[in-house]
Amino acid sequence: MNTGQPIILGEMPSLSKLYVNAAAAAARRRILGSPAGAGLPSVGHEVRGVQADVGNLTAYQHLIGETASDVLPAGFIHALAFPVAMSVMNRDDFPLPLLGMIHLRNVVEQRSPVRFTEPLDITARAEALRAHRSGTQLDLVAEVRVSGGEAVRWRGISTYLAKGVFLPGIDKASASVRPEDFKAPDPTAVWQLGVDAGRAYAAVSGDFNPIHLSVLSAKALGMRRSIAHGMYLASRALADVGAAKGDSFRWDVTFEAPVFLPAPVGLDISTVQTDGAAWLRSDYVAWNPRSGRKHFSGSVAAL
Amino acid sequence: MSVDGQSVTGPEETTNVRAAGSPQSLREAQSLREAQALRKAVVVGGNRIPFARTGGAYTKSSNQDMLTAALDGLIARFGLQDERIGEVAAGAVLKHSRDFNLTREAVLGSALSAETPAYDLQQACATGLETVLGLGNKIRLGQIQSAIAGGVDSASDAPIAVSEGLREVLLDLNRAKALPQRLQILARLRPKDLAPDAPNTGEPRTGLSMGEHQALTTAQWKITRQAQDELAYNSHRNLAAAYEAGFFDDLLTPYRGLSRDSNLRADTTLEKLASLKPVFGRNLGSEATMTAGNSTPLTDGASTVLLASEEWADQHGLPKLATVLDGEAAAVDFVHGKDGLLMAPAFAVPRLLARNGLTLDDIDFFEIHEAFAGTVLSTLAAWEDEEFGRTRLGLDGAFGKVDRARLNVNGSSLAAGHPFAATGGRIVASLAKMLHAKGTVDGRPALGLISVCAAGGQGVVALLEAH
Repeated sequence: MNTGQPIILGEMPSLSKLYVNAAAAAARRRILGSPAGAGLPSVGHEVRGVQADVGNLTAYQHLIGETASDVLPAGFIHALAFPVAMSVMNRDDFPLPLLGMIHLRNVVEQRSPVRFTEPLDITARAEALRAHRSGTQLDLVAEVRVSGGEAVRWRGISTYLAKGVFLPGIDKASASVRPEDFKAPDPTAVWQLGVDAGRAYAAVSGDFNPIHLSVLSAKALGMRRSIAHGMYLASRALADVGAAKGDSFRWDVTFEAPVFLPAPVGLDISTVQTDGAAWLRSDYVAWNPRSGRKHFSGSVAAL
Repeated sequence: MSVDGQSVTGPEETTNVRAAGSPQSLREAQSLREAQALRKAVVVGGNRIPFARTGGAYTKSSNQDMLTAALDGLIARFGLQDERIGEVAAGAVLKHSRDFNLTREAVLGSALSAETPAYDLQQACATGLETVLGLGNKIRLGQIQSAIAGGVDSASDAPIAVSEGLREVLLDLNRAKALPQRLQILARLRPKDLAPDAPNTGEPRTGLSMGEHQALTTAQWKITRQAQDELAYNSHRNLAAAYEAGFFDDLLTPYRGLSRDSNLRADTTLEKLASLKPVFGRNLGSEATMTAGNSTPLTDGASTVLLASEEWADQHGLPKLATVLDGEAAAVDFVHGKDGLLMAPAFAVPRLLARNGLTLDDIDFFEIHEAFAGTVLSTLAAWEDEEFGRTRLGLDGAFGKVDRARLNVNGSSLAAGHPFAATGGRIVASLAKMLHAKGTVDGRPALGLISVCAAGGQGVVALLEAH
């Protein structure tokens, strides 16, 4: 499948246009039915010479609690690469409906730091279409290189679920795994997320998905209230892990229950050390302090 | 008095000085420095205004007003009118940016010589104690002969910041040159930007208030509600008894109608304290034990301490109550819960005592700042814990036990209140007086230990000795 060279896009795709296209595609699907075929697009997309905007970077860093250094936070690079990934999912030959897809998991390898002055080549492709107990899931793999360079500096795998979509030729997943009982530990931090947390992150990440923006826009898409961006939550957890993570690390997050805004979020970060008391890994878990329900969990580990 | 300019040696020096810069004088100065042992920094005395609960008697008084009031009382008590003091250092935790030179402004508004230099210091709740240690060190080095340390805080007259949105708009407006540009910037304003940003006691990195942090620590060290209420009860009882005995007569100047700390409840009982509802730690797994009774309330107030070399005190015919022997700062990694936010003194005190060849048994007075009853009790519990001693302090076993009969014997912050930066000065002046009254114990000068915890996981501790 993904063997060919990526299609090079002339400019960074516009997320708002992609969302509009996706809405139109969803309407078409309703009328014409789903396109046949269960394969993923055989090509990826690439945008070259992407330059981070320093004002936007600073706003992002301040919003998620990172010091405004010249190094791009790993979550910021995700936001830079997101439109490229979205454009792959917007292709006519992409088999799943983009709108309403659920972000299940994200794994990032920050192999070496990227500075805001460095122009970046960003590629994205879809991989590993497979069954999920409640639909079909796949991975969007993005890779970031400094323009003209060979080495991948940043690699992110985002796993999305198309709920209720079962494609022919893809086996059903085995019976659902019961989630383990979660008992909230004592928090190491509590975030007070305001009703505008979604809008604030949309402004710095460019991700204006309506489910994050307001109660009304979220209701239009069938949510009871707006929800926080998953990558906003995960990026704040990454920032909270602090300087121990160093320049290169592996960062993963698994999303469970969405955070409806406004809400307090309890967070626990526990550090795992080597015998020599060097940092090995920080595990984090976040929950709703009122209901005790787990929102997400993950870890940041030395690479 | 230096009336016609400032003498080269300072008003307190009597030595002859050669023409500055001559080779001989430089050589002499160098050998003098090398031969000189550290001097002693002594506490001459102190003065504070009574501490007032927030929204009370000092509601309209600014930090500068209160610091000047405390300073003027000190000046009156020790006859320092028109005196050029070596240096004055003080600070406030809740400080408006216009008060960038708070201490110098207070000096200019006081009866001290206008030629007295001053600087501001800020180390959260340890501010007051750190000014004593820093200035004490300058005296010990011979850089200055006299100093005034202090601190002030107002939770009533706290600075309120505009929201980040409004602040950015105002700053951008200021930079904009043309009207259309200005209008464009103004259009960015949203109604929510007009809501002000009040200061709070939340830790920036965790979002948890100091009380919530302490609730975690209190639960971790299994400190009971009853033990916390007892500590609070003793604080009120001891402070009330000290007022009755006239202990504060030469430590305090009435201000705005107050002559006692307004938080003091001389008639409180253990039953009353036990009836209060918990206010912190209500969402934790363990039982909530921290109430408004066993936590310090927000308070307004100011304190000052006069420090000097022995020679300066003698020349001015002033008392020498106690020597500032040594101090130590520590910090803990509280952000991910390795240690409790307010547990740094549990590490600072063992280091300080070890350096001075002392143990807890050698201390005659313990002044452990009562941020919360749970803070004091968690610290004592850590010191009595075998495992903490071995694994965290690197000792053979537990660090030791504090004789409770020597702890906060004239009351502490739970009763007096805690205007953040003013607490260090309150404790140093009181302890110096207690040590001086005690004199010697078993043929050695009485020893006192001060421990103050601070936001950001910090702590400053100090050792004082009767003079």
